[in-house]
Amino acid sequence: MADDVTAVVVDDHPVVRAGVEHWLASEGIALVASGEDAGVAWEGPGADASVVVLDLHLGGVAPALPELRKLVEDGRRVVVYSMRADDDVVLQCMEIGALSYVTKAEGAEHLVQAVRAAADGQSYTPPALAGALAGDSSETRPALSPRETEVLVEWFQSESKEFVAQRLNISLSTVNSHLERIRVKYAAIGRQAPTKAALVARAIQDGLIGLDDL
Amino acid sequence: MTDHAVLLAIRRAFVVVVVGNQIGLTLPSLAGHPHGTPAWIAYALLTAVLAVVAGHVAVGRAQLHPVVAASVTAAVLTASVLAATGLPAEASFGAADWAFGLVGWYLLLVLLEWPRVVVAVLAAHICFCSAWFAHAGDGDVGNAGVVILSGTSFQLGVLVMARVVLRDARLAAAAAAEQEAARTREALTRQREQDLRAGFEGQLGAVLPLLADLADGVVTSGDEATRLRCSVAAVQLRRLFAENDDVPDPLLHELTACVDVAERRGVVVSLAVSGVAVEVPTEVRRELVAPMAQALAVAEGRAKVSLLRTGGEVRVAVVADAPAVPPQAPVEPVAVTVETSVHSGLVRSEARWRTT
Repeated sequence: MADDVTAVVVDDHPVVRAGVEHWLASEGIALVASGEDAGVAWEGPGADASVVVLDLHLGGVAPALPELRKLVEDGRRVVVYSMRADDDVVLQCMEIGALSYVTKAEGAEHLVQAVRAAADGQSYTPPALAGALAGDSSETRPALSPRETEVLVEWFQSESKEFVAQRLNISLSTVNSHLERIRVKYAAIGRQAPTKAALVARAIQDGLIGLDDL
Repeated sequence: MTDHAVLLAIRRAFVVVVVGNQIGLTLPSLAGHPHGTPAWIAYALLTAVLAVVAGHVAVGRAQLHPVVAASVTAAVLTASVLAATGLPAEASFGAADWAFGLVGWYLLLVLLEWPRVVVAVLAAHICFCSAWFAHAGDGDVGNAGVVILSGTSFQLGVLVMARVVLRDARLAAAAAAEQEAARTREALTRQREQDLRAGFEGQLGAVLPLLADLADGVVTSGDEATRLRCSVAAVQLRRLFAENDDVPDPLLHELTACVDVAERRGVVVSLAVSGVAVEVPTEVRRELVAPMAQALAVAEGRAKVSLLRTGGEVRVAVVADAPAVPPQAPVEPVAVTVETSVHSGLVRSEARWRTT
């Protein structure tokens, strides 16, 4: 339920923490803790928050990938919120097991949807992430069907699922399930992390993908 | 006239002078006075030299080979000695002295290219004749002086004139060559400018007709359609300026340039880029950017421009709030596939290029 969703924000800029709190609060999501390092998500009220919104740049030069990894391995649902849009960093976060990657250039709408989806243990693919997935030419990338690729590209290009649905002549829910399938396929590659395993297991249970797809 | 032609002409003139001298002036003098066999040998030697030089001139060879020049000079000097020593008593520098002036002309004819050598050898010839004259000790010193001075100074004068003509010809030839080079450079520059202008004209697309219409008063800027044409032209120009910039990712650079123009018009544009930069030829870049530039030119409100580069494809797309379908690009794309459509008030235009 939306009312039960709680979040903790890890970001080194107070203005970002305040902004995210405002966005989430206006959508009925309670921000239970916020701070400038990942410790806030491990102790106090932050330890029980259902979603962690994690900035990748916490003052240091290197992205906070170890912090992300620790959170994911502990079974936390993490939405990465970063100013960086480099494809390799995005794909790395997905590989580690973040449920979503939202760039700071993308507005409140995508962050709120990502947090809501994460609270349910689901992934959310904002347009920039769709672009990174569509542009992924690494050897380990999962095989996507032409339709899935087209949905990814159209979503990346238009930022409007209604538009994608109209363009491809499919329903909005079909667009969403295509995006979900893609995320699950991604989650299934590489090392398994608890959230990724849960994501895949859930997708199989829901009949979203079959074992053959993995 | 080239250097060679001038030298040839001068040498021809000298041949004529020497032939005239030898037949018209010298032969009567030789025949009219009692000369011995050495004089006739000298005359024959000189005639042989004349034949060699005339042969050169006849086949158009202006320059004498140094070896040939040295040999014939030796022959001339030998003739000079033979003629001087073969003269009757008291004949040196007199009416019977046929050879003194003629030898001078021969030296000019043979050694035209080497003025210092001419002067030196001529001096030797004069010295020898003077010495022989002094040795005999029975001549008219005054007359001898007049003959030496008048004859030699005239010959030296002619030599100087010939050298001046040669030098001027050389300078003129150099100046002509320089002018020719300048003309070539000018023509090349003109050609380059023309190429550049033609290239720009080809790329300017809608700009030139629009400027012409505005200048002729056919259209006014108050007109909505004209403003649309202006904004299309502005984006085209901005893209053209960005085309030759030296940047690591030219395609993205051109996209950014077009986005910049649209943003100045008040359109809120977001630009998303994915995938790694690949090499895209200039013509393909033009075709990839053109549909997006057209769409941005008519966009109102918001627009999203995206550049996606996957393993085998480059895709440039724009999704924008627009009142109408943007005007078609004037040139039909060759390398890329363009698709433009309208869905619920949003215009989507995409250009795709397969890299493989």
